[in-house]
Amino acid sequence: MNFLPIATNIADYLRDSLGLTNGIAMVLAAIIHGSLLVAIFMGTPVFWIWGERKIAGRIQDRMGPTRVGGRFGWLQSIADGIKLIQKEDLVPPAADSMLFRMAPYMVCVASFATFMVLPFGDTWVAVASDIGLYVLVAILSLEVIGIILAGYSSGSKWSLFGGMREAAQMVSYEIPLAICAIIPVTVAGSLNLVEIAQLQSGGFQNWLIFNDPFTLVAFFVYFTVATASCKRAPFDLAEAESELVGGFHTEYSGMRWSFFFMGEYAAMFVVCAVASILFLGGWNSGIPPLDATLNQMRGLSADGSFEPMAYLANAIGMGILISKAWVLVFVQVWVRWTLPRLRIDQVMITCLKYLIPISCALFLGVIAWPLLVYKMTGGAQTSFASPKAENWVKPAVSTPDEDAETSQFILPNSTPDDRMAVADDDRKVAGGTR
Amino acid sequence: MYDLVGHFLLFGIIIIGALIVPLLIGRLVRPKLPTPQKDSIYECGEPTIGTSYVQFDLRYYVVALVFIVFDVEVIFFFPWAMIYGGAMHLADSRITEATRTELSAKMLNTPVAELASENVIGAESAYWLGLTGLMDVLVFFSVLLVGFAYVWKRGDIDWVRTVMKERTQPTPHQDLIPPTKTPEKQTVS
Repeated sequence: MNFLPIATNIADYLRDSLGLTNGIAMVLAAIIHGSLLVAIFMGTPVFWIWGERKIAGRIQDRMGPTRVGGRFGWLQSIADGIKLIQKEDLVPPAADSMLFRMAPYMVCVASFATFMVLPFGDTWVAVASDIGLYVLVAILSLEVIGIILAGYSSGSKWSLFGGMREAAQMVSYEIPLAICAIIPVTVAGSLNLVEIAQLQSGGFQNWLIFNDPFTLVAFFVYFTVATASCKRAPFDLAEAESELVGGFHTEYSGMRWSFFFMGEYAAMFVVCAVASILFLGGWNSGIPPLDATLNQMRGLSADGSFEPMAYLANAIGMGILISKAWVLVFVQVWVRWTLPRLRIDQVMITCLKYLIPISCALFLGVIAWPLLVYKMTGGAQTSFASPKAENWVKPAVSTPDEDAETSQFILPNSTPDDRMAVADDDRKVAGGTR
Repeated sequence: MYDLVGHFLLFGIIIIGALIVPLLIGRLVRPKLPTPQKDSIYECGEPTIGTSYVQFDLRYYVVALVFIVFDVEVIFFFPWAMIYGGAMHLADSRITEATRTELSAKMLNTPVAELASENVIGAESAYWLGLTGLMDVLVFFSVLLVGFAYVWKRGDIDWVRTVMKERTQPTPHQDLIPPTKTPEKQTVS
C-alpha cells in the first residue's frame, strides 16, 4: 500500500545528478511539479472557455467562435487572453483597494492548491497524503473566501449581494458535498485518493459507483452538489447576470476579471476529477485486460526507480483520468446551456430540504449495506463483488516501507546505494510475511 | 504534515507568480486613463446612492449557523469512515491472508513486519467492530439529525421566512379590505 510519489523520483534525481542537499532537492522537485500543474491549471480554462462557447453555440443552433485559428476558432481563448492583457485595470476609488486586488489571487490559490493532493496516476501526485480527500475538500472550500472578498471589497451593491449569495450557497452546499465525499470513503476505508483509485482497478464492476445502490445515487448527488459548489449554472446565483449585472465581479475588468474564470474552470476540473477518482475508477480504464497490463507496467518501478514503461503506463492512466473528468465537465457545460437558472430561495431549498436529507439517507444506507450483506450471506462476505482490498496488495507494487522512505531524508550521508539496500531489505521483510 | 504545508506554501507562491506575470506584462501595454465616469460604481447607469457597506438580511446568519452545526460534526465522520471501511474489508472472509495481514497492520497502525500473528484481525471480530461503529455513528448522527429537524420545524431554513409567516397569520380587519388582487410580495434578494 505504500508507494513513492513522483516528487521523490525527481528529488532523488536532482540530488544524485546535481549534488544538491535533500532540502533544496525537495523544494526544486516541488517547483517542477508545481510548474507542470500550472500548465494543467492554465490549459484547462483555455480549452474549456473555447469549448464552452462552441458547445453553447451548437446547443443554441449557432456556430460559436469561427474566426481565430482556422475553421473551429480554436485559438479564441488565446486571442481573448491577449486582448485582456491590454485592458485597463480599473480599481474603483470606492473599493477597498488591497482586498479588491487580493481576491482573484485567493480564488486561484485555492483552486490551484487542490492540485497538490489530486493524483493523476499511480505515483503521479505531488503529495500522496493519507488525508488527501480531507485536505482537498478543505482547500476547495477556501475558494469561497475569495469570492466573498471580491463581493465585499468592490464597493458595489451588486457585488455585495453576489458575494453574500455565494457565501450562503457555499456554506449550505458544503454539507452534502462532504457527506457525499464520505460515502466512497466508507467503502474504500481510506482517505488517500491514490489508494481509493487503486482499489477500483480490475474492471468497471469494481468502480465504487457500482458497489451498491447507495453509491450509485451518491454519485449523482455528488455531481449536482459539485456543480453548485463551483457556482455553475443552474446554481450560478453569485454572478446571475440577469439579476445582479455581474454579481461579485461587476467591478472587475481585464486580466483580474479573467482570474476568477481561471479559478472557476480549474475548480470544475478538480471536482470532476475527484468524482472520477471517488466513483468512476480514477485512472483505471474499466477493461480488465488493459488494467492488468497497465498495472504490470507500473509494477516495474516498484522500487522507485525510473522505468520508461511504468512512465508510459502512468501517462496512459493520466489520459484516462483526464478524459473521464472532461466528460463530466462537458456534462456541466451541457447542463448550463440547457437548464434555466434557479432563484436564490430555490437554490437554498434544493440544498437544505432535499440534498442534505438525501445525502444523510445515502450515508446511513451505505454504512448499513455491508453489514446487511454479511447477514444475508451468513457471514461469508461484505460485498457482492469480489473483495476490492485485494487490489491494494500486489507483490509487484510493494515498495519500501514508510520508515525506510523517511529515513532516506533523515540520514544526510546515505548514498543512493545505501538507500537501495535499505529498500531491498525492507522488501525482503515485507515479502517474508506474505 | 511538513510535506503538506510546505507544498501548500510553494504551490501558493507558484500560482501567484504565474498570475503576476501577465499583470506585469499588461502594465507595459495597457492604458491607464481613469475618468470620473469610469471610476464610478456601476449601478445600471444611475448615480449610486449611499455606500455599498449596508446591512443585509440576518437569514444569511442562520444558514451559517446551520452550517457550523453540520460541518463540525461531518468532520468527525472522516476518520470514522476510514476505520469502518477498513473493518468492512476485513469482515469479508474471502480476502487472502496477505491482504488480511496488510489491512490489520494498517488498522493497528503498525508496520506489516512487526505485526504479531495473534494481532491479525479476523473476519468475525472485524464484523463486530463494524457493528459497534455503526451503533456509535447512529447515536452521533441522530443527535445531529434531531438538531436539524428542530431547525427545520422552526422554519429557520425557509429562505422566504417572513412572507411564510405573514401568510399563516390572519390579516387584521380582513372584512374591511376590499377583495382586490394584490401582487404577491416576495422578499427574494
